Amino acid sequence: MFSDFKSDGFMYLIILAVIIFVCAQALFFMKKAWGRGKELGITTDKLKNAVTSSAIFSFAPAIGIAVTVITLSVALGYILPWIRLTVIGAIQYETTAAIAALEAAGMTGGISQPITDPEIFSAIAWVMTIGSILPLILIPIILKKIQKGVSDVASKNSKWMDVMTAAAFIGLIAAFIGRGLAGKGSSKEAIIGDGAGVLSLTALIASIGFMLIFTLINKKLKKNWIDALAMPLSMVLAMVVVVLINSFLPEIAAIEWRY
Amino acid sequence: MNKTYFDKVHTWGRIWCIAALIFFLCIPLAISLHLKVWPDPAIVGKGLASIAFFFVTGIIEVVAYSPMLGAGGTYLSFVTGNIMNLKMPCALNAMENAKVKANTEEGEVITTIAICASIITTTIVIAVFVIIFALNPQFSEIMSSDTFAPAFQQVTYTIFGSLAATYFVKHWKISIFPIAAITLLLVFVDPGIGVLIPVGVVLSMLGAHVMYKKKLI
Repeated sequence: MFSDFKSDGFMYLIILAVIIFVCAQALFFMKKAWGRGKELGITTDKLKNAVTSSAIFSFAPAIGIAVTVITLSVALGYILPWIRLTVIGAIQYETTAAIAALEAAGMTGGISQPITDPEIFSAIAWVMTIGSILPLILIPIILKKIQKGVSDVASKNSKWMDVMTAAAFIGLIAAFIGRGLAGKGSSKEAIIGDGAGVLSLTALIASIGFMLIFTLINKKLKKNWIDALAMPLSMVLAMVVVVLINSFLPEIAAIEWRY
Repeated sequence: MNKTYFDKVHTWGRIWCIAALIFFLCIPLAISLHLKVWPDPAIVGKGLASIAFFFVTGIIEVVAYSPMLGAGGTYLSFVTGNIMNLKMPCALNAMENAKVKANTEEGEVITTIAICASIITTTIVIAVFVIIFALNPQFSEIMSSDTFAPAFQQVTYTIFGSLAATYFVKHWKISIFPIAAITLLLVFVDPGIGVLIPVGVVLSMLGAHVMYKKKLI
């Protein structure tokens, strides 16, 4: 009776509703911000650049997210992971939450075994949802206070604030760079490319290199479209380098100094 | 009293955020009602206890990321998720390209537009690819194969490598300390990226503050 319960018409209706909600919210804020941008005198070119660059940039990570949906689909079907990774979800969180819920239900096979019990499936849906909603409760309460605090500090000492903002961004980027250089893999199993090694180092060096090349080119040509495309192109080209090394030099690609 | 643009953003954001909260809670409720099964509270409780650290990182994320994402960007990002691997880099890249600063109204507008564009693209791309994967299992096998799977593990590094090229060149003096400190920390202990990010942000801000006070920057 429940053979197809993970991907039946009802589940498709839910994901459709989720997609409509998420896109409606984005279009609402886009329209408001665009109108305000014009009032502030930001050129249409700059506004369009922000859209183009972000859309192109999002393409490769979005495929990465779709691959995570596939990973989780063995156990949960396609729709629940698809819902979860369209709202609130993050790649690291969803996999961990699904495994935690499966283990709590006594299923030791992790996410590699299909779930056939609707009760366990609904338990996982509850765990994945409740485990991730705290920010949605906190934000309406505290965000305005945080933003006000930040803008008060910024108005008192703008130079210091500029330095601190740049430092915060750099700290964030440094966490990922450090992880690529010396971070352990997130999985308990030995998965190639999970821990710091040849592939993570290649990805870092190649993307930094391509980005610097595009920056140098644009210093001479001064074209807005190069600015907009520099980051997404650097990412994609670096991914191509990683795939090539992994395909043609598999022994070297498999070298990892942290597992 | 006239409402500023920021006031309006907070009003819209709160309404959308609360609507999202109710909507998202209705999803497992609808699944339970549809399947006519209610999960054992003990299983749900045990599952939630195993991921309790996500509650802590959830609080840290709100406090640490919201000044960088802007008001609109924060409301949008926390509803749609994938903040570190998508929304934040998008916002940073868009601000760099438009040459606007965070915590200004121009920065607010640009980050909001960038994050909206990212949300719409991501939603469409995920939908298209999941449908392709579902209809063509061979394609899904290729994407999860030994050739491509390790490459997709590196997407995050290509994102932050590209961002690093921009930020580290511009602010190289304040970049050296956090990279060295984080890498050294990781040699001894790896607390996971959820902890590593706030640690990196705090270390970097402390280092920059000291340099600022000593007039080194």
